[in-house]
Amino acid sequence: MNCQRLKGWFEERYDIEALGALVRSKTVPSHRFDAWYFAGGLTLFLFVFQFITGMALALYYVPHAEHAHKSIIDIVTKLNMGWLFRSLHHWGAQLAILVLFIHVFSTLLLKAYRKPRELVWFTGFIMLAISIFFGLSGYFLLWDERAFAAVRVATGGAGNLPLVGWLIKGFLRGGLDVTGETLTRFYAFHVAILPLVTIAITGFHILLVQLHGISVPLSQEKRQGKPEPFFPNIFYRDLIVWLVCLGVVVTLAVVFPPEIGRKADPLAPAPENIKPEWYFLFLFQTLKLFPGEMLGMNGETIAIVIISAAILFFFLIPFFDRRSASGHRSPLFTWIGIFYLVYFTAMTIIGFLT
Amino acid sequence: MSHPVLVVLFFLIQATALFAEEPKVEVFAAAPYDRHIIYQALVFFWVGIIGLIIIITMKLREIKRIQNMGIDKEEKDAPFLD
Repeated sequence: MNCQRLKGWFEERYDIEALGALVRSKTVPSHRFDAWYFAGGLTLFLFVFQFITGMALALYYVPHAEHAHKSIIDIVTKLNMGWLFRSLHHWGAQLAILVLFIHVFSTLLLKAYRKPRELVWFTGFIMLAISIFFGLSGYFLLWDERAFAAVRVATGGAGNLPLVGWLIKGFLRGGLDVTGETLTRFYAFHVAILPLVTIAITGFHILLVQLHGISVPLSQEKRQGKPEPFFPNIFYRDLIVWLVCLGVVVTLAVVFPPEIGRKADPLAPAPENIKPEWYFLFLFQTLKLFPGEMLGMNGETIAIVIISAAILFFFLIPFFDRRSASGHRSPLFTWIGIFYLVYFTAMTIIGFLT
Repeated sequence: MSHPVLVVLFFLIQATALFAEEPKVEVFAAAPYDRHIIYQALVFFWVGIIGLIIIITMKLREIKRIQNMGIDKEEKDAPFLD
């Protein structure tokens, strides 16, 4: 069957022409800040990249406390190109989370969450939370002493939440402490539960973006140029951005392959000067600001409650920003967005340097 | 006579550090030849990426030129040239 006949076969059964017309009719607004639109496509590209490299690694990884660490050493040292795939997966994850943060903050500062796009914001925010949990669960699969200590601290921190903390901690750990049971759970999260949720929420997010169209910032509504067709103009530009990103990921993977620490020992004390992954550094630094005890209560619990309240406010921002929902400029929420961005960046840098 | 003693001492002092060293997993090719091949492949990879970017940019420019001329849309009433 040649190409033309194959096309004809599909056209007889499905309305492919209508789908093509839909793609051709899609346009993207053109204005001063339109470069930020590329962050969304780039996140999608990095997610697909992570799925591919992750699937290759899952073929050889052994999710058992006794064999997990050894299986990763085998992937890196014995498999042909195994080191490259592991390194690509590691750096792909770092960049995916970084680009997702950029996407979320650009959406926040350009007020792209305003009515009627609240659900687009919520699904995007959930994707960020899922990505961070992807990062934590993937880091733990290494089963080395640093990953072990990091998960013990992270799940312990979640346990400090009032009322539901013990439930979350127990659910994540699969017991009282971090053990081989936790590894099984995190493996299930990393390779089955989170990917399925990611596909569902990403699909819904993209569907909503198609339904509402791409948001234009309030300041640019009267200054925008002629909208550009998505296909082929924006699609080709997206391709260029993806190619550059692919080059950066491969270069980082080759030049800075991630190290493998010593195998985790649940009975050993945590190694000194331990630091979490960079996307947890702002939380880590914030926790350091609080004393051990405040007003007769555990300082860490108070810190976790304040951080949770700040994250909840961030999540529900479309409901608080009533001015931009009614089409007016809201400088207060721009400053709130800048505060969040500066706080996150400053705390991450301080945490990295100290 | 003191020279060979110094050499032996040097090796002994170096060897004491081995006990303190943590066993490290080689996460990258150790042989210089293998490293050279990997870095060379990385350079070729970038050449390929830059080549593709140039081709896409040229294609994009051509598309824009056609769009600006207004001849990118198919005319529905155009007569067939039988």
